[in-house]
Amino acid sequence: MLKSILRSIFRGDPPSTQKGRSELVFYNLWLHIHPAKVRKEHLKLRHTGYLGFVSFFLLLILGATGLALMFYYHPYPPRAYQDMKDLQFVVFLGPFLRNMHRWAAQLLVVAVFLHLCRVFYAGAYKEPRQFNWVVGVLLLFLVLTLSFTGYLLPWDQKAFWAITVGTNIVASAPLVGPVVKVLLLGGHSLGIQALLRFYVLHVAVLPGLAAALVMVHLWRIRKDGGLAPSPSGPREPSAPPRETPIPSSPEKSYGLMGIVTGKPTFEVLVPEEEEAVFSYPYAFLREGAAFLATSAAVMALALLYNAPLSEVADPSKTPNPAKAPWYFLGVQELVSHSPALSGILLPSLLVLALLFLPYYDGNPSRRPRDRVLALSLFALVVLSYLVLLLIGLYFRGAGWAWVWPWAKGAGGGA
Amino acid sequence: MNRRSFLSLSTASAAALLATAGMGLAGFFRFLYPGVFYEPARRFKVGYPADFPPGQPVFLPTEKVYLFHDPAKGFSAASAVCTHLGCTVQWSERDRQFDCPCHGSVFAADGAVLRGPAPRPLTWLEVTLSKDGQLQINKNRPVTDAYHLLIPA
Ligand code: HEM
Ligand code: FES
Repeated sequence: MLKSILRSIFRGDPPSTQKGRSELVFYNLWLHIHPAKVRKEHLKLRHTGYLGFVSFFLLLILGATGLALMFYYHPYPPRAYQDMKDLQFVVFLGPFLRNMHRWAAQLLVVAVFLHLCRVFYAGAYKEPRQFNWVVGVLLLFLVLTLSFTGYLLPWDQKAFWAITVGTNIVASAPLVGPVVKVLLLGGHSLGIQALLRFYVLHVAVLPGLAAALVMVHLWRIRKDGGLAPSPSGPREPSAPPRETPIPSSPEKSYGLMGIVTGKPTFEVLVPEEEEAVFSYPYAFLREGAAFLATSAAVMALALLYNAPLSEVADPSKTPNPAKAPWYFLGVQELVSHSPALSGILLPSLLVLALLFLPYYDGNPSRRPRDRVLALSLFALVVLSYLVLLLIGLYFRGAGWAWVWPWAKGAGGGA
Repeated sequence: MNRRSFLSLSTASAAALLATAGMGLAGFFRFLYPGVFYEPARRFKVGYPADFPPGQPVFLPTEKVYLFHDPAKGFSAASAVCTHLGCTVQWSERDRQFDCPCHGSVFAADGAVLRGPAPRPLTWLEVTLSKDGQLQINKNRPVTDAYHLLIPA
């Protein structure tokens, strides 16, 4: 009985045979995004840092903890703030869940950013993976908008003023700015309507878009022939010619699969026997370990550090200094020097430059020593942002005046 | 179906598709644009002149306005919304200036930008006397910093 139940669920051979190991992967909805076999090289920590996986797992953790928080949260001021206090003091596991959600969100920004850096460094955005890089940049944008919309929800002073400034930066965009601001806020200033809109974006619209794009992203990795080989290794064979005609045969009618002409790109790249291992168990064990490590890190942070909550939002009184979440502080430092346009113009240029990178970077080589210019430019941009961010975080006090971090009473970051 | 009718049919279909999509999109954005704004009135009464003796400016928190009473020139009102990115500025009696906590803009007592990223001086608002004798401020009527309402004693 038990055996026949199990057999009805898991149809493949037992994983003790090679056939069984393959079937375990492709008879399973959740696992079949993997190939049956993967290159040994790609399993190395050095190759990917597992940063894409860590980002994915953080998204899962955010979904689960976010869903839990939704059971107690009303997107209505000032109730929203009272719900935060309830979560902190009376809900069983409330602080733990709220902390997990907050720290996972911040780790996600870091993980996605490092993932982008590693993909850039490996030159993995070049032919044939250009489009997956574009999908990645869109995901980065979604991750940032998710943290922007989520930041308002506690409805405390920090949230209120960071989002006031943020939406006024949006409003300073040429032509459409003021209208976009009204659409975003459902009004001219931050209030009841804005909280509801941010909530709907944060719990439904943006997660839905992110889920759809993550599916495309992971599927495209397979369709692009798996992960890019190490940049210092031999060149990849280019995609096969696509001109094979549909074979016509009087005896056989073709299903959809038969009409797809040419070999799919990934088949061409099936690795040599000695370079590859079965996904089960080698890849799954490592991914499982990455998941456990990610969860453990988030839980440890949640036990050690409490998510901040300042006083309830007061539209008439701006706290001093008013600081954005730490990863946006570079932008805040920028807008403090020149008109709000630098909060729009510079970031938009940066996003466009990232988005189209695979199409204007004509250098086909992925070896670091052939890409000195690209690598140094990238490092320059990253370092400048880090400098701005650190200035905003540690060197700005009341009235955004310069303070030394070791001076007494210097303003800490968010 | 000949080539000619095929072409005209496909053009018509494409046009219909575009029109539907355009209308859908326009409707969607119009839907998101609120039909009514539940927001504080932009013209409001703040109290009787006698409630505001000359001296330090008074901050009206709901409306985010500073009301000044100069013994010689009379009443004037400045919006407390920083012209940079909308934080609420704070009056400092010691320095006789407005400080913005967000990116460090500083405005003089007449609203002029002294320092920081603010692109424009603070907005001065029209102050009038309403029929019932109360002071009334109108945010829809910006004025220059020279504007004052003098009430003869
Ligand atoms: C929520 C955000 C993201 C998730 C969940 C995600 C997930 C993943 C995963 C699981 C992989 C497999 C290998 C690895 O771990 O590196 C991967 C590869 C890749 N990702 Fe992402 N990613 C995200 C954002 C991004 C961003 C921001 C970019 C770049 C702009 C990007 C571009 C790529 C590219 C081009 C590959 C293929 C790399 C190769 O072939 O070596 N992804 N992604
Ligand atoms: S909002 Fe006042 S200086 Fe930026």
